Order: sequence, then C-alpha cells, then structure tokens
Amino acid sequence: MSGRAVEFTGVSRWYGDTVSLADVTFTVEPGVTGLLGHNGAGKSTTLKLCAGFSTPSAGTVRVFGVDPRRTPEVYRRIGIVPDHGAPWPFLTARSVIELSARLHKVSDHRSAAAEALETVDLTGDADRPVREFSHGMTQRVKLAQALVHEPDLLLLDEPLNGLDPTQRAHAIALLTRLGAEGRTVVVSSHVLHEVERMADRVLVLVNGHLVAEGSTPAIRRLISDRPRRVEVTAAGNVRALARELLAGDDVEAVRLADGTLEIETSNPASLSRALPLAATRADTLLELVRPVGDDLESVYAYLHERARGRAR
Amino acid sequence: MMLTLRALLFQRRTVVLALIAVAPVVTAVVYAAAKPADSSATDFYSGIVEQLFVPTIGALVALVFGVSAFGDEREDGTILYLVATPQARLDLVAAKVAAAWIASLVLLVPSLVLTALLGLGESVTAGRILWPLAGVVLSALAYCAASAWLSLRTRRPVVIGIIYILLWEGSIATFAASAAKLSIAAYGRSFVAHAIPEASAPVAGVAASAAVLVLIAAAASWGAARSLGHGELP
Repeated sequence: MSGRAVEFTGVSRWYGDTVSLADVTFTVEPGVTGLLGHNGAGKSTTLKLCAGFSTPSAGTVRVFGVDPRRTPEVYRRIGIVPDHGAPWPFLTARSVIELSARLHKVSDHRSAAAEALETVDLTGDADRPVREFSHGMTQRVKLAQALVHEPDLLLLDEPLNGLDPTQRAHAIALLTRLGAEGRTVVVSSHVLHEVERMADRVLVLVNGHLVAEGSTPAIRRLISDRPRRVEVTAAGNVRALARELLAGDDVEAVRLADGTLEIETSNPASLSRALPLAATRADTLLELVRPVGDDLESVYAYLHERARGRAR
Repeated sequence: MMLTLRALLFQRRTVVLALIAVAPVVTAVVYAAAKPADSSATDFYSGIVEQLFVPTIGALVALVFGVSAFGDEREDGTILYLVATPQARLDLVAAKVAAAWIASLVLLVPSLVLTALLGLGESVTAGRILWPLAGVVLSALAYCAASAWLSLRTRRPVVIGIIYILLWEGSIATFAASAAKLSIAAYGRSFVAHAIPEASAPVAGVAASAAVLVLIAAAASWGAARSLGHGELP
C-alpha cells in the first residue's frame, strides 16, 4: 500500500439521471488540501469515494495505491470525519474513541484515546454520553475518533460546521499542524476564507466538475482577477460619465439601463480610483456604487464558465 | 458484538418483540388451565411449535433483530465508523449476526421452554424440548443472517422479510412441497417432527436440515460482507 495518498482518474459518479461528479481527475499530496464548492457541488461524493463508501460509476479511485473497497487494511492509514451522524451516541466519548482505537487495531487503545481526547480538548467531558453533546462537541468526538490511530490520510467533510469561533480556530490550527507534520489532510468546505486559513492547495468543484485546482494563493488570485461588474447610479449626464469611463483603460464594457450604469472591469481597485475622477469630468454626482455578482455562487459560476471555455 | 447486543436489547421494540414471543406461553397457560378432554397435550404442543413458534414468532423476532443489527447503524450513520476500519468485512458481519442471533434467543428460548413445560405437562421429555429448541436456534440463525443481508441490499428489508415469511413460507410452501425446500421454517420444523412423530412430515432429516440452515446462514453472511464492502453507504 504505497503510492499517492489519493488519486482520482476520470472519476464520474451518477445517481439515476443526476450527475454528482463528472470526469474528475486529480491527485492529493501531503499537506492540507481544501475541497471547495457550493452545496451539491460534489464535495461529499468526492470524499465518500475517497473513503470507499461509494463506487465510481466510471474511472478509478486509488488511496495509497489501492481500492479501499477491496482492501480494508488501508483504513489503518485513513481517518474519516463524515458530515452527518455521531458515532455510537449512547456511549461516552471515551468509550467511542477507545472503541475506534480497538477497531483500528491500536495496541494501547486507552492511552491513544486519552491523547486524542486531549488533542480535541474533550478530556473534561470524556465520560459523558455523546448523545448529550452539542453539535460542536460531537464534531470534536468525530475528529478524535479520526485521529486516534494517527492516520496518514485524513478525510474531513465540513469538519468546522457547528464549532464556535474558538473551537474553529483550534481545529484550523490542529489541521494545519497535521498538514505541516507531513500528513495528507483533505477538508471540504463551502467557505473560501475558512479553506484559505488552513489549506496549501485547493480543488474547486462546481456542479460535479473540477473547475480549478492549485495553490491557495493562485486560486485566490484567479478569483480576485475575474471580471467584476459594478452598478453606478449618478445624477447628471450619465452618458457623459459612460464615455469618460470608456476612454480609460480600466473599463471593458458599460451598459446603460434605466439611468443606471453597469460597468464591467477586470481591475476593480483601479476603477475605484478612476470613477470619482470621471464623474467630476462628466459633471455628474455619484449616488450609488455597488458591486454586482460578488457572492460566492457568482465566483463558482465564473470558475465554471472559465473551465468550460478552456475545455472548448 | 456486545455493543450491538446492547443496542439491540435496550430498545423499545424489544418490549414489543418480547410480547410477541410470550404469545405461545400465554396460549399454553390457557390450554393447561382449560385442559380439553378430547385433545392430547402432544398434539397441542407440536401444533403450536410447528404452526406458530418456528414459522411466525421465531421468524419475526429473528427478522427484526437481524435487520436492526445493521439497519439502526445505517440509519444513524454509525455504520460509516464501523466500515472505515481495517476489520475484515466478514468479521463485522459475523459479529452483527451473532448479536442478532443471541438477542433473538434471549426471547425465544425461555418462551419455548415454558411453552413445552406448560403445554406438555406430564408428557414433557428432554427430547421434546431440546429437538424443537435446536430447530428454533438454527432457524433463528438463518433468519438473522438472511435479514442482515437484506438490510444491506434493500431499503425495505422488513417488508420483504414479512412477505417471505407470511406469503412464501406461510402460504405457498404449505401446499407446494417443492416450495418448502426454499423455506427456512420448513427446515426448522424438521426438528419438531424428529421429536414428535405426530407432527407433519419433515422436508428433510435433522442432519440435512441443520446443514441447510447453517449453509443459508453462511451464504447470507458472505453476501452481507460483500454488500458491506461494495454497497453504497449513506
């Protein structure tokens, strides 16, 4: 069982008529890799395939060079935090982690469990039943059971969900540390800044397609450099303002509809400096300036379109 | 296995199953109290074990426990934590089937023994208790394994199980001799016939019946292990 931690080759997964993952190819190396995408983008399906909880409809999935569904031994090297469900909620947290250690064939399961509970800061509540825990505490139990056998690969489906800001910071620091230690951590999230804080590398999924992959700064640049649209309402000669803007280098297109200008630019920072000057020259008074389509969905839509354009 | 056993037994449905399991005992109490002059205790006992205990009570109890062994964990997502371990899939299935089997026997064995003692009265013998008990024990094993397999293969394992028990075993297999060869209950009843000659003709001898029931359990467990390794998990 050697080879890359995770290797997807032409993987598709469909359920009836619904395509959940479409011809996805990527590899994951040691360090923290963020799996970014909106709800329903295919993040959970990707993690389920990595974890051996699902079979690809087409293509191959290899974890440390083997198919986890055929080689259960590989689970000695994998720790998994699924998105839903709590492990054995009628047991105490300590019993859950000790059981997980035993199932993973850890020789000293008691001390391994104590260490894992300490890592997720649950020692004080270790002897309470999991069903009494808040969502955030349950998330930490799930994290502890994934860490107890010191896996080389961690697959975490939205592990920060339900954590308060302090626990979130703690979890991010922990995952960053695990990545720095040389473990492979794959963590899914739909929140970009969360992924940015811990991942060295990001895979962006949109509607089951892998639309971007690369280092976190490169993905951030890609997102920042995309064309932006800005809506401007002004009093006075709006057409003159449009002409002034088009005369500069910062604006790619201007549309005028119902007295409102919609400006397309690839350099919003420069536009923000040029706009007041253009308004003065056109003798107009700016009333409203607001970005359009700056939400995460629009970012994903842009990346999707960009990937389709490249494919064509 | 102990964890599953605990999860299976400490549930509200266990009370319902216990009430179902106690039905033959209640019937035996009523029979013992009434003692109709024109009926023999042996006929009553063989009838109740053959017609009620093995094909209905035992089958239903084993079906519910067998389905729940994996079904509950599938429902609450715990199964993922079990599957994501380096344990051999067949070992996981064997532990679950064993837990479901023991849980079934906890309810069925006392019920059968009490039914025998109360129903047979003075005509009770060790053979008349132990042979039917062997039939119940082995058929419960086969039902538990088959139910565990069903729970990993379909979304409606209880419905399919009940259709099999009531429609196939309870109806078709009773008048079509060849259909009885595909009935777990028919092999369980062979043990009753071995102890009580007045019982209906067995589908096979006790050795062959035991072999078939163990074979069904082994094949279903193997199938469940395959489903666990290759099926879609929540």
